[in-house]
Amino acid sequence: MANTRRSTKKGVAKIADDAMFAGSMPVSAGLTPFQILAPDGIPVREDLIPDLDVVEEMYRQMSRLRHLDDKFMQLYKSQKLGNYAQFGGQEASQIGSAMALDRKLDFIAPMYRNTAAMITHGWSIKNAIMYWRGHPEGWRLPDSANLLPIIISIPGQIVHAAGAAMALQMQKTGGIAMTYIGEGGTSQGDFHIGVNFAAARKAPAVFVIENNGWAISVPRKVQSSVDYLMRRAEGYGIPGYLVDGNDILAVHTVAKKAVQDARDGKGPSLIEQMTYRIRPHTTGDDPKAYRDENGDPKFWAENRDPIQRVRQFLTNEKRWNEDREVAMMVEISTEFQEALDAADAHAAPDPQALLEYVFVNPPSQLKEQQAILVERIKEASA
Amino acid sequence: MTQVLENTNTRTMTMAAAITDAMDVMLSKDPSVVMYGEDVGNLGGVYRITTGLQKKHGEERVFDSPLTESGIIGTAIGAAALGMRPVVELQFGGFMMPAFDQIFSHVSRFRYRSRGRWKSPLVVRFPVGGGLGLLEQHADSPEAYLMHTPGIKVAYPSNPVDAKGLLISAIEDDDPVFFFETIKLYRDPSLRTDVPSGYYNIPLGKARVAREGKDVTIISYGGMIQPSLAAAEAAAGAGISCEVIDLRTIVPLDIETILESVAKTGRVVIVHEAAKTGGVGAEIATQIMEKAFYELVAPIERVCSFDTMPSPFNSLNHFSRPEAHHVAAAIKKVLSA
Repeated sequence: MANTRRSTKKGVAKIADDAMFAGSMPVSAGLTPFQILAPDGIPVREDLIPDLDVVEEMYRQMSRLRHLDDKFMQLYKSQKLGNYAQFGGQEASQIGSAMALDRKLDFIAPMYRNTAAMITHGWSIKNAIMYWRGHPEGWRLPDSANLLPIIISIPGQIVHAAGAAMALQMQKTGGIAMTYIGEGGTSQGDFHIGVNFAAARKAPAVFVIENNGWAISVPRKVQSSVDYLMRRAEGYGIPGYLVDGNDILAVHTVAKKAVQDARDGKGPSLIEQMTYRIRPHTTGDDPKAYRDENGDPKFWAENRDPIQRVRQFLTNEKRWNEDREVAMMVEISTEFQEALDAADAHAAPDPQALLEYVFVNPPSQLKEQQAILVERIKEASA
Repeated sequence: MTQVLENTNTRTMTMAAAITDAMDVMLSKDPSVVMYGEDVGNLGGVYRITTGLQKKHGEERVFDSPLTESGIIGTAIGAAALGMRPVVELQFGGFMMPAFDQIFSHVSRFRYRSRGRWKSPLVVRFPVGGGLGLLEQHADSPEAYLMHTPGIKVAYPSNPVDAKGLLISAIEDDDPVFFFETIKLYRDPSLRTDVPSGYYNIPLGKARVAREGKDVTIISYGGMIQPSLAAAEAAAGAGISCEVIDLRTIVPLDIETILESVAKTGRVVIVHEAAKTGGVGAEIATQIMEKAFYELVAPIERVCSFDTMPSPFNSLNHFSRPEAHHVAAAIKKVLSA
């Protein structure tokens, strides 16, 4: 990825311009991931730097969720969390895009790696802990956050987002639906189905590919012969964007454009955010079995970290220093500890949750099983 | 027969017309009802069941979708979560297969997965059943897969009045409902009957006793009610009294009505068009065994298609797809035990 190369024109690299000259596949010419901040924190697009309060908020949110990702790994190792899909290293990609949404109007249809995007969109840390503990009350999506359920068997969420966007379009709420997929998930049929369906109906959706290079142990090149997956946008007749996914300013700028276009009735966009899965696929995965952790993962962790990039920028702008960092980290760790304490203090799961919400009106056969469950609960407590 | 009747006007209809009428009634009644699928808009569907609905209710509410069953059902999940009531059509029951992931991973689990935050009040309608010499996958009866999947309801009407009332209930139901429409019955003139006009519903989960009797209980649904009734009629000529239960819905399964009948007859024949092994009949037989074993005086008989795909070899179909004489043979067998 040519991160240090400077973008030369306009706000965003749009496939519509380049594709006209691209010729037949495979295409190699022309595209550079859109960037506002270089990895060293130096702006390559001074003109697109937002209000520094916004940048600070992004930095704070990324730091907060990196802390959460670290803590979740620790909790897993001490058997206080179930198997969990880490996002560490992809904070810019998820937070930058989710921050482009209106929490009241817009919806996220998440997949399992989107804990950062979900919390940015209003999910609570306590809820997240309890979800990844397999506590039914963690699975209960709060009314206060516009989140569809987490999808494990990707990419069902792509089609649900298309349908949610259709509903928002019909209801004329002005809201949009954003959804995420890894680069591996784009090989599934439902990726094509959902993006095409939304595009055909000009439904207000934003499809984000978080290209982190790995589908568990399978590298990006195995998934497809195309150089950039966002080129598929042309095949759907929608805008496609290629973004440095570890540059939160770039991610946010492109997401805002895509969200606004969707809101304005221009239909969906496809955004590919180039990032890297520096951590295991999930807490149960051991990447040493299939990749050299001292190679690319180490390089990305040390030289392409999305949080350090912004910290360096804010430091250069005299907006950040060690004292502020220490004060922020105290706040962040206190908040997390309080959420963890609250999750620990939460009542144990009610076994009746097993048979709740299967049907709104359960058939007699399920009611019989509910009676058996009640008996088993009694036996267990006797 | 119907549970809720708002007016007593009727109109003579085929089952196809009754289904169209149900959708018309619900599109008029509830602005959150939308309808889409392949060819359902301008053409009115391959079986013309949505004819006239787009013209009357507009292209925003009745529209053609891209050709993708997974997309049709997957988008219905998202739209239903956000407050719509999608009534989507698949061209054939056999075309459900490309949507298996959306059905089994998502339709059935969306509400459970969100702990009640989102529900899936959607209806998936499609033509099923054979006997017409159609192509492969145009004659399937895929109800057993759905019955085995928690969270999904299955309606399977056998006549115009039930079809309209059940479809209205399905559209109003907050659970997802798969609605089986037997192709052979769509325009069967012998089924033309007076159907109440306007709104009425028939509750999901309440079977109908299509014929009363005391010697043998025949349990069936959809397109197999006709051969069941024909066999019962023939048996009556020989002095045998058969009760025919039309399930109307497979999920919920009205086991109470079945057990009442079994208590009376002690002899059971189950008839369905789908393949025998692992079919709906296996579940019904098991539930009877669990709850009424000592009422039985003979082993339960199942009359089903063979365990192969619905025959694309038209001239051979009648060897497998149940007909009245197969049911008659089963009646004889349970009586001789």
